[in-house]
Amino acid sequence: MKTHKLFAVADQVTPANFEEVMQQAIALELATIPTYLSTYYSINRAQDQDALYDKIYKQLNNTSIDQEVPNERLAEELKTDILVYANKAAALIMSVVVEEMLHLSLACNVKQAISSSPDLISIGKTLKFPAELVGHEPEFVINIGKLDLDQLSTFLQIESPDPFTDPADSPETANDVVKYKTIGRLYNMIIECVQEHYPGPYAPKPQLLPNEPGKPPRPFYSQNSVNTVYYDEKHKPVFGSADDSGDLVGVYDAASAIKAMNEIKHQGEGNDSDDHNKLEFDSNNMPIPLPVVNGKVQFKPGDYDDPAKEELSHYAKFLEVYSLGVHYKEKFGAIAGMDDFFSYFVADQLPNQKQATYDLGTGPNQEEIAWMSKLGNALYTYIILMVETCYYKDEHTQFQVFMYGIHKSMIWLLSDVGNAMRSYTFTANDGSSYTPSLTFEFYDFSEASGSPKEQLIEIAKSLANSNPSKNPDIDSVAAWSWLYNDEAYLPSLPDVGLDHSVQPNVPSIPA
Amino acid sequence: MKLTHNKIREKSNQKLNKAELHVGKELHVCMGLNSCQGNGYSGTNECAGMGDCSTISHPCHTLNECKGQGGCGLFGTTEEFCHPSENECRYQGSCGAPILNSRFIVQGPNKGRSVWQLARARFEEKRKASNQKFGAPPAGEFGPSNEYISELYGEKTVEDHSSCGQSGSRSCSYIQNKDARQAEANANVETMEENSQQEMSKTLSTCPKRVY
Repeated sequence: MKTHKLFAVADQVTPANFEEVMQQAIALELATIPTYLSTYYSINRAQDQDALYDKIYKQLNNTSIDQEVPNERLAEELKTDILVYANKAAALIMSVVVEEMLHLSLACNVKQAISSSPDLISIGKTLKFPAELVGHEPEFVINIGKLDLDQLSTFLQIESPDPFTDPADSPETANDVVKYKTIGRLYNMIIECVQEHYPGPYAPKPQLLPNEPGKPPRPFYSQNSVNTVYYDEKHKPVFGSADDSGDLVGVYDAASAIKAMNEIKHQGEGNDSDDHNKLEFDSNNMPIPLPVVNGKVQFKPGDYDDPAKEELSHYAKFLEVYSLGVHYKEKFGAIAGMDDFFSYFVADQLPNQKQATYDLGTGPNQEEIAWMSKLGNALYTYIILMVETCYYKDEHTQFQVFMYGIHKSMIWLLSDVGNAMRSYTFTANDGSSYTPSLTFEFYDFSEASGSPKEQLIEIAKSLANSNPSKNPDIDSVAAWSWLYNDEAYLPSLPDVGLDHSVQPNVPSIPA
Repeated sequence: MKLTHNKIREKSNQKLNKAELHVGKELHVCMGLNSCQGNGYSGTNECAGMGDCSTISHPCHTLNECKGQGGCGLFGTTEEFCHPSENECRYQGSCGAPILNSRFIVQGPNKGRSVWQLARARFEEKRKASNQKFGAPPAGEFGPSNEYISELYGEKTVEDHSSCGQSGSRSCSYIQNKDARQAEANANVETMEENSQQEMSKTLSTCPKRVY
């Protein structure tokens, strides 16, 4: 499949290219969100534990090899391994997604304050998967796709705090010194430019700002939600992010701009300590996992994004998910009768699927899946439009766009479509079957009449009418009509125009 | 295709339909949070704070109909989590209703602590500040359990009444033996309840004053 160059990482940052480089930084932050979200949606993080136990127990009993422990006990242990890992992997990925949305806002705040408003729609139009970061040395392909060790390897390369050796190099050249770059180094160049050329104060413009004591709430960012929480093997809750791991930063001068960018660096790559784990590859071009001792991955002080060691960096979170994934894959692989570890909780989705594939497919649910995919793309694009619009509006309108638009779209609408797709099977035109997934393609609202919100509602209606049935369990009307019939969902979204106009449009209180 | 959220939404609407029988009553988010006599779910309570369950029901964050209907705890900000059921307007609630005893706050200095206990503490604060009487909540000092609500709703088999159900039950265990599983789940919730009660003064002191 053809890869798409995301942007060229600059060799240096100067006032002449500052605006372009900030747009590139924003593009990088934005690109991580569909990448990580696509993997998140592939995970069934809360499956029926009794059904899972029964499946494993039968698999153990179907083999003639005696295990060291009774099958009942082993099935319970393996079931718990799956449930805890699936929920933990999902929670940690979501905690990174949440912070990537923060990073997107921080980078937008910097660009807004120092040069011009962020142009997210243009980025959305050009962001196509598989993507790669031109200029990043080595270049590597970024897929949207299901959770597996290959995808986690990509995540580690994106977030690596250190230059890493190209895994595709032959053993003879693997130790050559090559001038690799990291995202943190891009921000270091921007910081140097700001220090030298943009001391501030900057002219006030709309930004996404943190809460301030004594002022009305700005509910734009929260580190944790129920989706960043997972449960350990004793079912005790564990929180994916620390409370003080970072927040929005208003950018008013060089000091606040640098604070915002250092926050991005530290959350992504860890604190400034050199005592951290580095990305190294084995002879199979896969990252070398950290040792797992008594079910726990061992970290170093520099793997945390704060000196208090309360939260791992993005890189270390992914290294934990990767190392545990390797550990359990080996454990399950060594037990007769067991399937691949990831197959118990990850949907069988192909990477980098396209709307066009779903449009041309066959099968009883083809039309419904194609409309689901289209709705997912329209919602994804609408979220980008809403975030961009916030940089043109006052705080009151920002509040309305976030509270009634972005929150609902992320938590309920896009999430419901993304999770629902795991329940379907798609037959491609070559006859192969697999699980469909969100394609995260730009939806061009300018190609049809009506506001973007009106188009969203029309797509939802088409989805609901795509596969009607007298059987309520498969009836698309029953499955999807609430999207536009229930006022709390699509009808209450703010009507945001491509010209950044906003009609709040919160329905009146029912009589 | 039955979707997870669709199921939660449908169940919530079924409960709402039952609550519509309480036309003209105060709309509140849980047991023990009502302001008047007869304003609980069943309408049989003798006093404020003695209602048996919420008079409204909705699945989660931004899906509430009115002011004061955010159940709180699972989606939202630290500030919102400090003030359960004190949201200012429609669609500004931070979580679903009713609030089970197992629901804990997921963000901020009070994370891991009971949402219902904080909601009840806020309720009592307001009643005391205005010298108004209130009684003890009927299902105990820690909030309603899922089983309590199921029985109140007259369900033949116990259904799941937790909201925002995306990351697994908050009252559960991975033990395979059903009795042992329930015992560990109950123990986990009881530990959270007791810790939350012991730390309530700390919880209240860390919360910023609500500004509208």
